[in-house]
Amino acid sequence: MAFDSTGVQTNPRDTDAVFGKWGLRWVALGYLTMFILVPVLVINVQGLRLGLDVFWESITRREAVSAIWLTITSSAIMTVINVVIGTLTAYVLVHYRFPGKRLFNTLVDLPFAIPTMVTGVMLVVLYGPQTAIGQFLSDELGIRVLFAVPGIILALLFVGYPFVIRTVQPVLLKIEAAQTEAAQTIGASSWTTFWRVIFPIIRPAILTGALLSFARSLGEFGSIIVVAGNIPNRTQTATAYLYTQVEAGNLQAASAVSMVLLLVAFAITIGVDVFRWRRHA
Amino acid sequence: MKHLKLTLAAAGLLALSAFAPVAAQDAPEPITLTLAGYAVPREAYGDIIPLFQRYWLDQTGQQVIVLESYQASGAQSRAVAGGFAADVVALSIEPDITRLVDAGLVSEDWKDDNPYSGIVTQSLVVLAVRADNPKNILDWADLAAEGVEIITPDPATSGGAQWNILGAAGAAERGFVPGYEGETAVADFLTALAGNVLVFDRDGRESYLTFERGIGDVAITYENEVIGAALAGGTDAYVYPASTILIENPVAVVDTYVDQNGTREVAEAFVEFLWTADAQRAFANRGFRPVTPEVRAQYGLAEEGEEIAEAGAGAVEVNASIVYPAVEDEFTIEHFGGWSEARATYFGDEGLFTRIAAEIQG
Repeated sequence: MAFDSTGVQTNPRDTDAVFGKWGLRWVALGYLTMFILVPVLVINVQGLRLGLDVFWESITRREAVSAIWLTITSSAIMTVINVVIGTLTAYVLVHYRFPGKRLFNTLVDLPFAIPTMVTGVMLVVLYGPQTAIGQFLSDELGIRVLFAVPGIILALLFVGYPFVIRTVQPVLLKIEAAQTEAAQTIGASSWTTFWRVIFPIIRPAILTGALLSFARSLGEFGSIIVVAGNIPNRTQTATAYLYTQVEAGNLQAASAVSMVLLLVAFAITIGVDVFRWRRHA
Repeated sequence: MKHLKLTLAAAGLLALSAFAPVAAQDAPEPITLTLAGYAVPREAYGDIIPLFQRYWLDQTGQQVIVLESYQASGAQSRAVAGGFAADVVALSIEPDITRLVDAGLVSEDWKDDNPYSGIVTQSLVVLAVRADNPKNILDWADLAAEGVEIITPDPATSGGAQWNILGAAGAAERGFVPGYEGETAVADFLTALAGNVLVFDRDGRESYLTFERGIGDVAITYENEVIGAALAGGTDAYVYPASTILIENPVAVVDTYVDQNGTREVAEAFVEFLWTADAQRAFANRGFRPVTPEVRAQYGLAEEGEEIAEAGAGAVEVNASIVYPAVEDEFTIEHFGGWSEARATYFGDEGLFTRIAAEIQG
């Protein structure tokens, strides 16, 4: 029961409605501002604190450029592999039956739950010079995995694995059997059916998954700091570079490089929204 | 990584006290002491803290709960400067304490009244190699050879890494690295060395663990790490360069925080305890060179002709299997004119090593 100042009972529905309309909105907006926008704003202020010249100098330093470039290229390679394998896996999970399928489906989410630093340690244990795999790769094939670019990509593949699968799978499930059957009754091969009927429907979902996993790997730190050598210009990714700058007390340079990552991430977020919107349109 | 754990011994004492209600009634409330250390001496403090807890209990009847945090020296120092209210800091290099002095947390005269200038342990920069030394690494010069893979922590984040680089630089400057002579000896040698580094880990401990996992041919590391590894049954070997730097690790009470926490008395007692014969032997048994003359004599480190009072027996015995050999040319940070000079010359924004690291060929 609610009463106004004159003691007259007010309609509780009215106050609820008003709170629902404005209260919840303020909570949502206030939260976004306080906990997301303000920190993001602060880093931009920090990055530009010493002026545009210094900002430009910080992001065009050779180690900074090669760190950002290494992050973007290794993330891009990871994304391409993930798109192919992720789409294939989602298709297999939706269209085929096999023993252990439920377990498989659960395991897909595992990388979400494993602390990424543990991911890094697992890779070191697996590909280290003391293991058979590590020895075979380095002695027989001359491939260095750990503390080199392949190690970074392997870590990103692990971390980014679920994204494409989990965005494509629900869309595949929604495709009516009638649509694919219709294609097959008019004589289309299963490849043609996939390419001409299924693919156009799941394409926005694939792109969304690709962008999400790309964005995720831009910021990956825990596993990379374990498997990459942190050598400037060679194996230092953008986040490892940021860490070094923060630790060296160089906040301005760290913030400037963060702004570049932020910009890329922001572009990706907009991209994801565009694809989502198209998918729902 | 930050590790914060309740010392088991303290927990044990607390558990015991539950069964002794009569004694507990008169005993003062337990006091909590927070120790912020650099990564490497964690095991040594694991030995010393229970000794101190017993000592403090005997002296005052009060239990001490010690909370321990270990990470790279620089990171630890920044954490304390940023508000991590530790009572005592045990760091790798003096500049990490100077940062706390500049932040107004540690008083400016922190090392003035102390006979050891706040230095609690010493060590040497040494080279850890594989068991049968397949790359035949015998001294600094061999690190610059083609195809040698070096493991050393990142001097941007690790105090220990700065000791390593200064050890290499000093050896070159003092003419102990054949093939690198003249004006550009140091720059040329450091450039060759940096080009061979395979992993720049975040702190000294992590770096040595990477080496122990079988990665790299040689780790630039500390005598205490290799002695510790040998005591733990490790099979890797190590060599003493003919010329190397003497590492000196400082300890200080964080004045501002002990006054806030009401822990000044116990914090000062803890720091003083680190120079007792037992604590110094506990450090020495973990591979750190002790600093007090009596304990140095027990480990064969006494200066010639020095007259030393015999160290009394205590709770910690001398481990006679540990040898601390002398090297041909041992130098200290004073070779570089002190820390602020060394930092500016090598690790500042325009420092020699900062520039060399930025120019590593991709």
